[in-house]
Amino acid sequence: MSYDRCVRCGSCIILCPVFDAIGEEQYSPRGRTYLLQVMDLIEEDKELGKEFRRLLFQCTFCGRCSEICASDVDLLKVWHEQRGKAVSEAPEEFGYLDALGKSLANMMNIYGLDPEDRAEFWLDELEDEIPGIADRVYEEGKTADTMVFLGCLMSFRASQMDVLRSLFLTLEKLDVDYLVMGAEEFCCGHPLHLMGDDDGATKLREHNKGVMESAKAKRVITCCPGCLIQISTNHNLKEDIEVLHHTQLFDRLLETIPKYKQEEEFSYHDPCELHRICNVKTEPRSLLNKMGVEFEEMDLSCCGGGGLLRMTDPDLSDEIIQIRAQKEKLGDRLVLTCCPSCREQFLGANLRTRDIVEILADALEGGEK
Amino acid sequence: MKLRDIAIGANASIYLRMDFKKIKGVFYPRTEQEIIDAIATAHDGGYSVTPKGGGSGLSGACTGGNRERVMISTLRMREVLTVSKDQGYADVQPGATPDEINALIEPIRMKFWVAPSSRDIASAAGILSTDGGGNDTWVNGTMRDNTIRAKMVLYDGRRLTVDWNGVTSDDSELEAELNKKGMTISDVASAHGTLGFITELRVKIKPFPSEKLVGGLAKFEDCNAMGRALSELIKRKSPIRYGETVAAAHEDIREGLDLPLLTLEFPEDFASELKDILDYSDLDSEGLAKMKDVRIKLPKRNPNEGLQIALFEGFGYHGDNLLKMQDAIDEINSLLIGHGLALFARYGHAPSKWYLGDNSPAYGVILHSREIKPEDKTSREMFDTITDIVAKCNELGITPKPEHKWPFSDEEKKTRIKELREVMGTGFNDFILDPNGAYDTLSSLV
Repeated sequence: MSYDRCVRCGSCIILCPVFDAIGEEQYSPRGRTYLLQVMDLIEEDKELGKEFRRLLFQCTFCGRCSEICASDVDLLKVWHEQRGKAVSEAPEEFGYLDALGKSLANMMNIYGLDPEDRAEFWLDELEDEIPGIADRVYEEGKTADTMVFLGCLMSFRASQMDVLRSLFLTLEKLDVDYLVMGAEEFCCGHPLHLMGDDDGATKLREHNKGVMESAKAKRVITCCPGCLIQISTNHNLKEDIEVLHHTQLFDRLLETIPKYKQEEEFSYHDPCELHRICNVKTEPRSLLNKMGVEFEEMDLSCCGGGGLLRMTDPDLSDEIIQIRAQKEKLGDRLVLTCCPSCREQFLGANLRTRDIVEILADALEGGEK
Repeated sequence: MKLRDIAIGANASIYLRMDFKKIKGVFYPRTEQEIIDAIATAHDGGYSVTPKGGGSGLSGACTGGNRERVMISTLRMREVLTVSKDQGYADVQPGATPDEINALIEPIRMKFWVAPSSRDIASAAGILSTDGGGNDTWVNGTMRDNTIRAKMVLYDGRRLTVDWNGVTSDDSELEAELNKKGMTISDVASAHGTLGFITELRVKIKPFPSEKLVGGLAKFEDCNAMGRALSELIKRKSPIRYGETVAAAHEDIREGLDLPLLTLEFPEDFASELKDILDYSDLDSEGLAKMKDVRIKLPKRNPNEGLQIALFEGFGYHGDNLLKMQDAIDEINSLLIGHGLALFARYGHAPSKWYLGDNSPAYGVILHSREIKPEDKTSREMFDTITDIVAKCNELGITPKPEHKWPFSDEEKKTRIKELREVMGTGFNDFILDPNGAYDTLSSLV
């Protein structure tokens, strides 16, 4: 029980975005850990148990508490295990997750849409602009060095179309030999992982693994840090298949980049799952620097969109981003990031945002459009 | 009962197993008025009030003991209200942490010079309530030395302001009575929230010194030798800007260090005089940063197997017992081992400063102590060890918990608090002053 190692020093409290929004101890990592430490004193109270299980899903999984913890408590692992325990102990309390679970079980995506539509919406939109893009969609027998794993948000959300366009234009420009998984892409299993249900994610992961290996991919790239976590750590890919974030690939391929014609002020938001969990910190900044982009670093805290919080407590998720927007005066600035989930969160708060690959595509085209 | 009534008990001491049904209300006020309203709720219900800051202290005072009580947290009152660079002060809400204060004033090249290792969460009012400090109290003093005034609210809602000259209040009778008793900031310092609720503090801020500092690492045969060297440093009022010792550490966390050692930072022109006092090797900035990092992480680390425990946070060696520090450490270690505890780490501020119950300053070493939590001891057995430690400290002339404080056996301080409460009223953290009650209470919380 690694939470026993917590000495309750409190260093994690003020850093926690959920505590920052609500301001009460039970929402802080220390408060939650303390509750676990004294659970034997309160476990007979059914209402408290219910409240605690709900509390476990009011967390963004940003990992800041784990990072600061000098007692080496793997708090993310604790929350993950506790979520799994909560759902298995009282499934009736998590009815609001049923739809997601069913969508993933039946349609293999978080939206419950026809799997065939994974390469429909964006293909319709981009086919004229990027000739031959349809041939990039994986079918049995096709092979490529690089497999692009779009993830559910990028595949289905119209709001991600500009990022997709820039991603494909850049891959084409750099003559990358790539395929997109298309209808053969199943959810990476990250939402199930965040529900503590890794068993449920196994089928999805095994399918993806089979496709990646049959395409003889030497590398898999994704724009989504959540997918990156799952593919790199939980898909059990062959050791010679490299898994990269798109910023890592482009930073590696491009030693120099034409200067980006910057006409406004940028702030850079580092996605928590990318920098804190996947440890990808230098490449996004390196790309921006190579393009001569000037930007302000934002606080290394969460946008409020992680940990399924948008689904489990949307009001809290909104409050977290509103607090950040106010504290960091984001209203007048454009927020750069490189995570579709963070991007959705910023868009939802009416903040202007772009993925780094959009800036990159503009720079490679010779200037901002 | 809700989870908020339980989570409010989270604190860094070993006193955590509470009867949560006795927590009758939990408040997170944002303003002075909300504090007054929360206190009124306690007053109306006849409950004691326990003020709580960051909960990083180790005395157990922020638990409120085992009485029916209302808990009032300052976690939502962390603002810096005003800053005067010219006059060298900042007005802060009670929950503001040193890190938060300094983040705001460092751009104007000013600093609040109170730096406990918990400075990222310890609240200004909480640090005053324990009269805490950090590794630089030798240079900058404890919290009381850095506090200009404190505004407080009493159990009946009356307000007062305490500074170094006395007390002011809208209630002239209260003001006169407290001034007759000579109340100052020294009384609020280390009162562990027994006098009232601190609603605002004016703290000193000072510019960064321009002197060039260098680092040094001294190793000693034992702690008697280190104590003699420290005694000499103190006698000469040496300009040590940072002084920290690691006196002993379990092999899991020792990192190959020869112990005991003393890490020092001091003005470059003091180097030759320092060589007269002790042998040391130079530390470059990287080496100094590494030693500081080793030190600051010690309170939070664990052995590879088992858990560390701050059974009794610290010991204040000063005066004659500094010269026989190793002997005293050995006696305390024997006591701990006799009670079935395995030693984990000894480290702390050296030289340092703290105040005794009669408000006289003491200069010496604050040696923090960590043990490995035994699996087979009852709460009562653990607490009996603590009472034996306190008795041993009294026998040896060592101050028990000089930094986080051990208010429960400080009869001088308690007598003074009681005297003031005759005027101010009771209602705050009453368990600390219960005759023998605090010990009974604390033993139940281990």
